Amino acid sequence: MKKSDKKGSHIIEIISCIIFFGFFIIFALITIFKPKEKFSELENKSLERKPKLSAKTWFDRTYTDKLEKYVADHFSGRVGWLDLKSGIETAVGKKEIGGIYVLKDRLIEKVGEPDYSDVDKSIEAINEFSKENDFPVYMMLVPTSAEFYKDELAYFYPELDQRRFIDYVYSGLDDNISKIDVYDALSSHKNDYVYYRTDHHWTSLGAYYAYAAAGEKMGYVPHELSYYDVEHASDSFKGTFYSKTLNTSVKDDTMDYYHDPDGDKPMTVEVTQVFGSDPEVSDSIYYRDYLDVKDKYASFLGTNAPIVTIRTGNEGGKLLIIKDSYAHCYSQFLTDHYSEITLIDMRYIQISYKKIIDVSDYDDALVLYNVSSFAGDTDLKKLLYS
Amino acid sequence: MVFSSLVFLFYFLPITMLIYFVLPDKFRNIFILLTGLFFYAWGEPKYVVIMLISTAIDYTAGLLINKFNDKRNIQTVFLLVSVIMNLSLLGVFKYSSFIITTINSLFGLNITDPQLPLPIGISFYTFQSMSYTIDLYMKKIKVQKNFFSFAAYVTLFPQIVAGPIVRYEDVAREIDCRTISISKVSEGIGKFLKGLAKKVLLANNIGLVWTQVKAMDYGEISAATAWIGILAFTFQIYFDFSGYSDMAIGLGKMLGFNFPINFDHPYLSRSISEFWRRWHITLGSWFREYVYIPLGGNRKGFARTIINLLIVWSLTGLWHGSSWNFMLWGFYFGVLIVIERLGWGKILEKLPKAVSMLYTFILVVLGWVLFDTNTLTDAWHFIGAMFGANGILGDSTALYLLASNAVIFALCIFASTDIFTKFTDKLQQQKPMQLKIAAIAAQLIILVNCTAYLVDASYNPFLYFRF
Repeated sequence: MKKSDKKGSHIIEIISCIIFFGFFIIFALITIFKPKEKFSELENKSLERKPKLSAKTWFDRTYTDKLEKYVADHFSGRVGWLDLKSGIETAVGKKEIGGIYVLKDRLIEKVGEPDYSDVDKSIEAINEFSKENDFPVYMMLVPTSAEFYKDELAYFYPELDQRRFIDYVYSGLDDNISKIDVYDALSSHKNDYVYYRTDHHWTSLGAYYAYAAAGEKMGYVPHELSYYDVEHASDSFKGTFYSKTLNTSVKDDTMDYYHDPDGDKPMTVEVTQVFGSDPEVSDSIYYRDYLDVKDKYASFLGTNAPIVTIRTGNEGGKLLIIKDSYAHCYSQFLTDHYSEITLIDMRYIQISYKKIIDVSDYDDALVLYNVSSFAGDTDLKKLLYS
Repeated sequence: MVFSSLVFLFYFLPITMLIYFVLPDKFRNIFILLTGLFFYAWGEPKYVVIMLISTAIDYTAGLLINKFNDKRNIQTVFLLVSVIMNLSLLGVFKYSSFIITTINSLFGLNITDPQLPLPIGISFYTFQSMSYTIDLYMKKIKVQKNFFSFAAYVTLFPQIVAGPIVRYEDVAREIDCRTISISKVSEGIGKFLKGLAKKVLLANNIGLVWTQVKAMDYGEISAATAWIGILAFTFQIYFDFSGYSDMAIGLGKMLGFNFPINFDHPYLSRSISEFWRRWHITLGSWFREYVYIPLGGNRKGFARTIINLLIVWSLTGLWHGSSWNFMLWGFYFGVLIVIERLGWGKILEKLPKAVSMLYTFILVVLGWVLFDTNTLTDAWHFIGAMFGANGILGDSTALYLLASNAVIFALCIFASTDIFTKFTDKLQQQKPMQLKIAAIAAQLIILVNCTAYLVDASYNPFLYFRF
């Protein structure tokens, strides 16, 4: 090697040392000194707090485990790193990121085979609920977007056949439970905007088609689609699928509110977060504050709460809905046909529903779930609590 | 602590190295000991005591073997103390569950399994410190009189949890006197980052495929799915383990040590014997040195050679984990090597390269089924599925797994060959400066990409904790 080469290679060696240690030290220092946040809106999750070192946490290894999570959660430029990873995954042709499939123009969820013993328990609980009460019970199991768009994956990983799953559940329900099948109503509009591209929920339009299909069985005359005054409440909605993948190749979602043509009537909406405490009261089912944050779907009746009551000021019966969050956006169509709607979420209720509401108040009950949450549900069996 | 973690890379490593570089030479061994204990206690806050006890006993045994230089019988006693102590530690912490369940099922007894958790790296550090007392007894090395220097050898953090199994002989000189230079640190950085990329970018990603397939029902999967799954594991274990060894060797270089290489493109081997000369080389040479040769090796006639081979390979299997799967896995290779010794090896040499390489690779892949399925029954069903026992050759699952991971598979195959190494070796001859500049660019890319994967660490297992 020539002398100048030797000198040059020595300089390169020094540079490589500076890059290697400099890289670690700079990011480590920024991570230590930057202000820490408690919650990541983008990812929709609470960030790990700084663990406390004590003999106990050291020896049971919780300190070291949590410190590792803490460093990752507060790492400098975390979102940029997550973006980079998701970009690499897409570039190398990975079709699935964190349980979400990336399609050309939308994200869909991977719905695996459920544990049928849990499903059977849920079915049994609904049957028992129907037997115990005098009012008619309706069941609406809504397919999720995966069912209608999964064919777009060239080679599809075997997914739950939601048509068969709905049939399985409906055939297990007692005859006196009225089954509302909205599969075809959604399937025939799959080319319209019936599901969000970046979120696991249905859009207001999707909910409308289900509402229209349910009218006959539930005994109301649905409005025509043209009846509504549609408001584009947001066009920058990034939903839960986005949070899981941070995929930016899919367009942001638009969120629509379906208003009465002559303006919404004032209503009373009571949200009870904790039993025994006073409910939060508002005069609209639209919680516009949530339009300014990431979780915009919560602008329909807020985030999931154990019990929500809507006094609509309209004529009609009283409806009890046992539900997941699909019912939130669905409710905007029901307010015209019922005087009072109560939504209860079994995931947040640990005691018998009879202790929370007076069942004799209600004229109808609707069980409304999407297939994915029903398939993984272990809370409906709490309907059996006495 | 593991190398592929943010706390190690961004905090432990720069702090340790910077202090180490500025420290006067005479304090460096003590510093290595302290950092090694901290590194180990991070993952094993309680069992660090066991390691210290074992170190103290081997150190003392070493002194005594040295002291009674002319009394062979007394030396033998102290050697036995060291060997029995190390093997008992392994026996109690690694094999007690296996021994108890075996005894229970053989004799219909009901002895309670204490279910002791396996201390990290116990299989590595016991083997390392045994190499010291045995070699001392064989008069191959000189005694280490400084406790801190000996303890620094055992607790040297680069190799403490997952090897390579560095024999005392390998580093005896460097323990007492080593030089640290920019050029060695820079060389170590290159090696370390190569290993980090293997582990974080290749092994973790291809490992996800195997995690999916492993969880499926082996009575239903298609032959193609089974093959894709076990091939994914084939690459995962190679890049995980060899990546870890590379990182250890790189860190060793930065500290001034030269550890022996542990992997040499094993999937290019043309026979099973060759595979084991290229895979986990330090383990193979440990067993050859301390078990096979003392048993007589191949010098006591043909029948004894075969028996010795089978013993060594069953033990090698058992070293990897305490279950019948591992024992059988080792025995399987023992049998294959015996067959090669019987003349099949000569035929393999004459076959076209592609044929003998494919032969070896397929047998190794079948071995991985034994290695990573949970029971012998599972292994049997899985191998059945690979050969069409479920009556389905291919399905959409297989196509999906392949399509979704085609790029990663291609990268893994490429990185298993020596094409890239040959290419860089050639550049080293012709354009060394350009190669160095390209290497820096590559290192920066690796740093950035690995950080992205570690910040979002949804899947970062560590396969060697159970050894």
